[in-house]
Amino acid sequence: MSLPPPAAVSPSLIRGYAPQPGAYNEIADAGGRLRPAWESLVRRFDTLGPDAIRERWTAAQRVIQENGVTYNVYGDPRGMHRPWELDPVPLMLGAEEWADLQAALIQRARLLETIVGDLYGPNRLLKNRDLPADLVYANPNFLRPCVGITPPRGRFLSLQAFDLARNPEGKWWVVNDRTQAPSGAGYALENRLIISRILPDLFRDVGVSRLARFFARLRDSLAALSPRATADPHVVLLTPGPHNETYFEHAYLARYLGFTLAEAGDLTVRDEAVFLKTLGGLEPVDVILRRTDDSFCDPLELRGDSALGVAGLVRAAAAGNVAIANALGSGLIETQSVMPFLPALSRQLLGEDLKLPSVATWWCGQPGELGYVLDHLPELVIKSAFSGDPMPPVFGSSLSAAQLDELQQRIAEQPHRYVAQESVALSTAPVWQDAGFHPRHFMLRVYVAAVDEGGRDGYAVMPGGLARVSAAQDSMVVSMQYGGGSKDTWVLSPEPVSPFSLLQSESRPTPVVRAGHRLPSRVADSMFWLGRYVERAENLTHLLRAILLRLTEETSPCGSPEQARLFDALSLDTGSPHEPVDTGDLFADHAAAMRHIAGVVFEVDAYNSLASCVDRVQELGSIVRDRISLDTWRVLRQMRGALREDAAHRLDPTHVLTCLDHLAVPFAAFAGLSNESMTHGHGWRFLDLGRRVERAFALVRWMKALLVEPDPNEPMVLNALLSVSSSEMTYRSRYRMSVQAMPTIDLLLLDESNPRSVAFQLLKMEENVSALPGDRSEARRTPEQREVLSMLASLRLADAEALARTDPAGRRAKLGALLDSLGAALPAFSDLLNSRYLIHAQPHQTSFQPLETPLNSEEETL
Amino acid sequence: MRYLIRHDTEYRYTQPATLEHTSAHLQPRAAPRQTCRQHRLEIQPPPLSMTQRLDFFGNPVSIFTIEGPHDRLLVTGHSLVDVEARPPMIDGMSQPWEPLRQALRTDVSPEGLDAYQFTFDSPLSAGSRELRPYVEQSFSPGRPIFDAARELTSRIHADFAFDPKATDVSTPVSQVFAERRGVCQDFAHLMIACLRTLGLPARYVSGYLRTEPPPGQPRLIGADASHAWVSVYCTGMGWLDLDPTNDCVVDTDHVTVAWGRDYGDVTPVKGLIVGGGQHTVEARVDIVPEGDATTVAT
Repeated sequence: MSLPPPAAVSPSLIRGYAPQPGAYNEIADAGGRLRPAWESLVRRFDTLGPDAIRERWTAAQRVIQENGVTYNVYGDPRGMHRPWELDPVPLMLGAEEWADLQAALIQRARLLETIVGDLYGPNRLLKNRDLPADLVYANPNFLRPCVGITPPRGRFLSLQAFDLARNPEGKWWVVNDRTQAPSGAGYALENRLIISRILPDLFRDVGVSRLARFFARLRDSLAALSPRATADPHVVLLTPGPHNETYFEHAYLARYLGFTLAEAGDLTVRDEAVFLKTLGGLEPVDVILRRTDDSFCDPLELRGDSALGVAGLVRAAAAGNVAIANALGSGLIETQSVMPFLPALSRQLLGEDLKLPSVATWWCGQPGELGYVLDHLPELVIKSAFSGDPMPPVFGSSLSAAQLDELQQRIAEQPHRYVAQESVALSTAPVWQDAGFHPRHFMLRVYVAAVDEGGRDGYAVMPGGLARVSAAQDSMVVSMQYGGGSKDTWVLSPEPVSPFSLLQSESRPTPVVRAGHRLPSRVADSMFWLGRYVERAENLTHLLRAILLRLTEETSPCGSPEQARLFDALSLDTGSPHEPVDTGDLFADHAAAMRHIAGVVFEVDAYNSLASCVDRVQELGSIVRDRISLDTWRVLRQMRGALREDAAHRLDPTHVLTCLDHLAVPFAAFAGLSNESMTHGHGWRFLDLGRRVERAFALVRWMKALLVEPDPNEPMVLNALLSVSSSEMTYRSRYRMSVQAMPTIDLLLLDESNPRSVAFQLLKMEENVSALPGDRSEARRTPEQREVLSMLASLRLADAEALARTDPAGRRAKLGALLDSLGAALPAFSDLLNSRYLIHAQPHQTSFQPLETPLNSEEETL
Repeated sequence: MRYLIRHDTEYRYTQPATLEHTSAHLQPRAAPRQTCRQHRLEIQPPPLSMTQRLDFFGNPVSIFTIEGPHDRLLVTGHSLVDVEARPPMIDGMSQPWEPLRQALRTDVSPEGLDAYQFTFDSPLSAGSRELRPYVEQSFSPGRPIFDAARELTSRIHADFAFDPKATDVSTPVSQVFAERRGVCQDFAHLMIACLRTLGLPARYVSGYLRTEPPPGQPRLIGADASHAWVSVYCTGMGWLDLDPTNDCVVDTDHVTVAWGRDYGDVTPVKGLIVGGGQHTVEARVDIVPEGDATTVAT
């Protein structure tokens, strides 16, 4: 397809585009002429026109929503899993400009690597007073237990990131150095996949440098850090967990790079080596790409209050048995107070002038600088000298005279704790809004990886980056935490672009692996509970639909006679053991019943409510995000979508019923996907075990509520039971007569061919536990096998007729006794399974030894 | 003075612990007036692996791992330590505190650089505005540093009540200062925070105090357990140890185990366990001058 002829010099799109005065305009020069790198893009957008762009943009939003690209905002009630904000207009950078920038970034990366290596090693910089000792000794990120540890290959910083801003003269400045666990590279990659999908022809025609090769080199260089000589080093990505702001990215990168996603609880240190706890036992770990801040990584030697760390990790690193990227302690130079010293350090350590300047920074620990800062406070931004300090930046221009006085005093008291910076004037790039281009300030985060270059240490720069834009036109604050958005960054390639996919880069043949032995115990645990909660939600939905149908159909407020029994079952399923529900009231009072049901459906905080189960499903789904398919993930997200509450109609039975009907579709889809699209490995077995346990348990509870005390209107009760347990059709196909107790009990309890019977669940459970890893040399059955076989035997030996018979007191005592024993054995089975495979108890501190403090007054911190 | 020291730390768990990582600062370090002649660490149950090394501050530290179910951990340090008497203080040796503080900023000698790091805040002992008036009462302009620090030691002793029930290991200095009570660890952290408020180098010393006092002298507070006090760097005189809990200059009744920025750097025994349920911990210290036992026997 050929492009339409070039539009007029000033395409309509940017005719009304008014750049911010005083800021560099990325898209056009002062004379209004488009910069070359932007020409094709502007023409293309112009040709497409607002409607086509909107259409494509809607498609992109859907991808973001469905792929679950999220960013967690701390302290925001809506914060968890906020959809990622992405603008459709990429930031364009020309090839020549990028070449210069790339060289400067490599120089800076090399410089920071040299500095951090010295400070944790020979420490010449302090001894020669090249760097004030304050910047190290007063720095909370100087980790004393890590001093003297030489990381594998002497490499401290495998991945660095730099936040760049362009000043009004068009020059790039570094605003932040990120040396410890830089975030955003995965978002940059996801941005690229989405934008190249909605602008495929433009992407192809302008020749955009691809990102995949950078990630391949990063992956290979991380694997090469392995201290163990092995063809297949085990690399894990250590994440603080699903509550971290960038958890999406952790799971995404782990999957993309082929690393195991691990939380601290998945790892353990034995004999100064790191292992992953898996179902098959302990698996050695060679390399850790960490996204946990270094001071949190080892509660034994670093922060004792950390629940995100692995006890003994520092010793394992010191013993050289594991490579950690970036090395523990690298956060030390992630501080703006080092910036003023970089030009001199660059000349001294590299023999070169620093190519990329930092934003003008004064560290107040020096008398001359302190004087300047105190005299110019209103023009400066005051920040903490050390990253990790909770002080937010203070803009001198926004302070009153009294506040300035106060700030001056604080700085003078402890000058070494503060830096001052010039306010950075950020350049502007266009964002798409209201059918047109509008200027926004932005900052560009770029990534540099340490890689091998023909056996020598070299660096690779990601050709692109994560551009973050301000939320409002006049705002200079660019932070995803404060509601800003992001942009893809297109670096134009100087030569024709060759397609490159990470999957094709495998140079060595991959050995065939069948069973997922590296399944971390925690993942198996989450799969098990995912199965349980999905099933629990589905059972609850069936029950609630049955109740609501009866509420809407009956004109009498009392509903049908079996309704009381259904309420009993509901209270068994959802009632908190501490707050019993009076089901008699619900049966009598229609309005009270609706209020109760609305609570059970929508209240997230209510015990075992439908909403809380669906929430839990989401949470568990995000933990195993790297283990389930994209489609499965989308289905899980649809469950929550179906439950979106409409406050005005929450007491309207028809509305609630519609919500429940909508839920039925993702439930069915999930069941289908998990059976047909997941390999039936250990992860799947735990998922299935969870479902089976939960389904059997629900059937046992329902039969107890509906059958043990026969109701005068038994046929109606039996009908209700068959319908909530989805066995109505099976019953009718077998028995052409009115519903009776004996065949119902047989079908729901004993019939091993009915996929909705208790016996069928037990059969499947037995099948699953027999396939789990265990000591095969042992001929004996495991305790959980024995437990499930004993339940199965009790059903096989039972006589349906005897179970259906009522005793002189009018009860089905035999049935009651059997259901009670199953009701006790099922949780016992679940516990056995847990203690054998899933226990991953977080270590907890044995606290500090008290001095004269009483023994019982110690704080237990986790 | 030669001391025979036995330090037991016993953890008991309500449920079996299956894995335990422990770090111990129990071996008395080398210090200017102190030599550790012998040291032996006994651990029950025996550890799977153990590393011994010097930490950043030069303190010996042992890190060990115990595997397999156990409901009790007993760590015992046996040490034999010689402590020499402090050289007498000569009047006029101590210089005004402000020039000392200034000189340290540019002193890149190994000793100066080492001392400088102790002027900065640490997690458990940070300087603050609130402490400034209190510490400035002793640190008047031009006053010799040792006189001022000695007076501060006495004032903390006089102004603060020894109260084992008032605080625990996590009580912040600000609370100790506001409530005017605590134990030796709190007084040490408070005094260090006071000195750091002025930018003076001060470190935390963990150690022992002899259990039985010499004949005719009162028993000191902090015996039978780990003790803690403060060391202040006085340029020209080196580090001088002061004990605010007992209002004294440290001499031969104190045995140094380890020093650091605060308690967190030199915790005698700390660890992490998997399993274990609830736990209790008990510590016992016996420190007797060598020869005392035989004296009694004969």
